[in-house]
Amino acid sequence: MDTTAIATEHLTRRFGELVAVDDVNLRVTAGQFFGFLGPNGAGKSTTIKMLTGLLAASAGRMEILGVDLASNPVEVKRQIGVVPEGMALFGRLTGTEYLNFVGRMYGLDRETSAKRTAELLEFMQLAERPKALVTDYSHGMQKKLALAAAVIHGPKILFLDEPFEGVDAIAAGTLKAMLQRMIVRGATIFLTSHVLEIVERLCSHLAIIDHGRLVAQGSLEELRAGVQAHAAPAGEKLTLEEIFLRIVGSSRLADQELSWLG
Amino acid sequence: MAGLISAPHARDQFMAISQLRWQIFVHSLRTLPGRLEMVSWIFVGLGYAILGIAGSLGLGALGWFLVSRDKFAWLALPIWIIFLVWQLLPVMATAFTENFDASNFLRFPLRYRSYFLIRIFYGALDPTTLIGILWLIGLTAGIGIAAPRFLSWTALVLGTFAALNILLGRMIFSWVERWLARRKSREIIGIFFFLFIIGVQFIGPVVGHYAGRRAHPALPQLLVEILPAEHLMPPGLAAAAVSDAAQGGFAIALGDLALLCGYAAVFLLLLDIRMRAQYRGENLSEAVAPAASPKTKQAVRFGWTMPGLSGPVAAIVEKEFRYLARSGPMLFTLVMPVVVLLLLKMGSANHMGSRPVRMPPLDFAFPFGAAYALLILSNLTYNSFGADGAGIQFFFVSPVRFREIVLAKNVTHAALLAIEMLLMWTAVCVLFHPPAIGVTLATLVGAVFAALLNFTAGNFMSLYAPKKFDFAVLGKQRAAGTTVLASMGVQIFIFGLVGFTMFVTSFNGKIWLATILFLAFAAAAFAGYSAALNRIDHVAISRRESIIAALCRT
Repeated sequence: MDTTAIATEHLTRRFGELVAVDDVNLRVTAGQFFGFLGPNGAGKSTTIKMLTGLLAASAGRMEILGVDLASNPVEVKRQIGVVPEGMALFGRLTGTEYLNFVGRMYGLDRETSAKRTAELLEFMQLAERPKALVTDYSHGMQKKLALAAAVIHGPKILFLDEPFEGVDAIAAGTLKAMLQRMIVRGATIFLTSHVLEIVERLCSHLAIIDHGRLVAQGSLEELRAGVQAHAAPAGEKLTLEEIFLRIVGSSRLADQELSWLG
Repeated sequence: MAGLISAPHARDQFMAISQLRWQIFVHSLRTLPGRLEMVSWIFVGLGYAILGIAGSLGLGALGWFLVSRDKFAWLALPIWIIFLVWQLLPVMATAFTENFDASNFLRFPLRYRSYFLIRIFYGALDPTTLIGILWLIGLTAGIGIAAPRFLSWTALVLGTFAALNILLGRMIFSWVERWLARRKSREIIGIFFFLFIIGVQFIGPVVGHYAGRRAHPALPQLLVEILPAEHLMPPGLAAAAVSDAAQGGFAIALGDLALLCGYAAVFLLLLDIRMRAQYRGENLSEAVAPAASPKTKQAVRFGWTMPGLSGPVAAIVEKEFRYLARSGPMLFTLVMPVVVLLLLKMGSANHMGSRPVRMPPLDFAFPFGAAYALLILSNLTYNSFGADGAGIQFFFVSPVRFREIVLAKNVTHAALLAIEMLLMWTAVCVLFHPPAIGVTLATLVGAVFAALLNFTAGNFMSLYAPKKFDFAVLGKQRAAGTTVLASMGVQIFIFGLVGFTMFVTSFNGKIWLATILFLAFAAAAFAGYSAALNRIDHVAISRRESIIAALCRT
C-alpha cells in the first residue's frame, strides 16, 4: 500500500492582492523522487517554503508523513531535511563545526553527530580544508555543505529548492549520487529546479504549477501521455521541456512586437 | 544598434538614480519596521540638525571673535575641530549612516565620470558632511561679519577645504571598504580601529596628566616641534590661507591655497584609483576569497556539552562563542570596560595631587565598570540574530523551538556578562582597591536585574527589528535605528533606577538596602522575562517572513 509522504489540501497563500499559491492539492507518495516545476513566479518557492515551515499558509492544510504541519511543526521538522533558497548556512563556522551544530540541533548525540559529520565531509569532498570557514567556500562547496546538513539526521523527506543552481558539473554529480542513494534507501525527495534535463533524469513523478495553480500532476509517463493525447503526433516521444512548454504554454512574439530589438 | 540614437546623458542618469532612491525610500514606508525606522531617523535627524545649527552658530561666533580681536593664529582651532569631526565621526558613529552601494549601476552604460560623481554625490549625503558644511558656512559667516573684505577669499578657501574633506572622506571609505572585503584584513583593520578608539580615549587623561604639572619640560618642546607640522596639514593650511591674507601676505596665502589644492588633488588621485578599480568591475565578495587554510586531514571533533543544557541549546551556545571568537572587533569591545576603568584610574591619579582626599566616586568603580559592560553587551542582545544572516532560515526549519534558540542566545550573553563582571572586579581590585562587600553585592544583583530587563527587551527587538550585520561593509555592523533608540530608552530607565537607588542608599549608609531592592526588581524582571520567553515562539512564527527577509537581504 502506498504511504503518502506529502499531502496538501486547498493550500493557498496570498500576499495582499496577489494569490501566489491558489488552492493546491498535492500528493507525493513515500519513496518518490518528485519534481515540482513551474515558470518563474508560478509559486514553486512559496509552496516549498510553506511545506518546510518557512512561510505560513493563508488557507488549507499540509500533512507530512501523516502529521499536520500547522499543529505539530516540531515533529514534522524532525522528519524532514531542507536546502532552502538561501542555503541557510552559518558563514563563520568551519564545515565541521557547522555540520556538528546541525546534527545536534536535530537531536543527534555528540558521538553520532561527529561521526556523521566526518563521513559527510569525506563523501562531499569537503574534508580537505577543515579550518576554512564556510564564508570562504565556493558556491558549489556551499551547496554541497547545505545538502550534507540537510541529510545529517537521516530525514525521511528531503526538500530541495533549486539545488543545482550555480553548481558545476563535478559538484552536481556528487549531489545527484547522494540523492539517488537516498531514493534507493526509501527516502522521498521533493525538488524544484529550472534545469529540466536534470529533473527528467532524476524524477519519477512531477507536478507543474502555473500562476499559483496546480496544472498537472503524475508520473513523467502519465504527463507525456496526457500531452500527447491532446497535441503531439503519435509516436513522437516528447521531452520534459516540450511537455512543460505545452502545459504552461509559451508566448511567442508577434512580428510587430519589439521590432526595435534589431 | 537599432533605435539607440545617442549616448545616454549623465544628467538623465542622475535623475533616474535620484528617482530610484526616492522610490526605494517610499516603498520602505510600506512596512511597519520601515515606518518605525523612519521615526527613529527623524529623532536622530533632529539631533544632527541641532548639532549642525548650534555648532554653526558657535563656530561663527568664534570666527567673529578671533578675527575681530586680530587673533588670526587661533583660526586653526575651529578648522581642526571641523576637520576631525568630519573625518572621525562617520567611522565612530556608523549606527545611523548607511552607504549607498552604487556598484550595482555598473551594468548600465555609465561613463566613468558619471560613476565617479554618483559615488561622490550620494556618498556625501551623510550627516557628518552636512554638519561639516554647516559649520564651515557658520565660520565663514563669522569671519565675513568681522572682516567683510575677506568674505569672498574666506569662502573660497573654506569651500576648497570642504571639497577636500569630501574627497578625503570618500577616499578613506573606499580604501577601508576594499580592505574590509577580505575577512583576514577585516579582522586586522578591526583591531587597529579599536586600538585607535582606545587610544583616543586616553587623550583626555594624558592631557590632564600633563596639564596638572605646572611646568613639564617636555611639553613646550613638543608643541614647538608639532606646530610647523600642523601648518602643513590641510586644516593648518586652510587657517593659514585665511590669516595670511588678512595680515597682508596675499602671495603666501595663495601658496597656502595652492598647497591645499595639492592635498585635494592627491586625495582625488587615491580615490580615483579605487573608483577605477570598481568601475572595471573588481569583485571583492567573500565567495572569491581564497581558502584560508592548508590541506590537512579531517579529524572527528565532538561538540560541547554543558551541564543542565539540552543538546540543541549547548550547540547554539557553542556556535555563538565560536562566532564571537572569530570577531576581533567584538572581542576588543568586550575588553573596553577594563580600558574605561584604566581611564578612570588615570583621571583619579590626576586629581590626587590637587585633592588629598580619596574621590568618593572610586567606591563606585565596580558598578561603573559593570554598567559599561552591560551597555556594550546591549550591542549583542538587541540584535541577536544579526550575525546569523541567512542562517536564520535554519532556525526556522530545525525541530527546535524558538524559545530554546533565544534562551541559548541569552545563556551566551549571560556567560559573557559573568566573565566581564569577574574581569571588572579583578581590575577594580588591582587598579583601585577591592570594592566593599555591600557595593559588590548590590552591583551583582543590580547587574542581574539589568541583564534580565535587557534580555527581555532585546529578545523582542531582535525579532521585531532584526538587521543583518555585514562584516564587509563599513557602517553595516550595527543594529537598526529603531533598535538603537529602544535600547537607549531601556538603558536610561535601568541606569536611572539603579544609579538613583545606589546613590540614595549609599548616601544614607545603607547600601545593603540597594541589594534587597535590586533582588525585588530582579525577581519582577525574571517573572517578566519568563513570560516574554513563553511568547517568543508565537512572535517568531508570526514574524518569520519579515525576519527572514531582513536577515537574508543581500
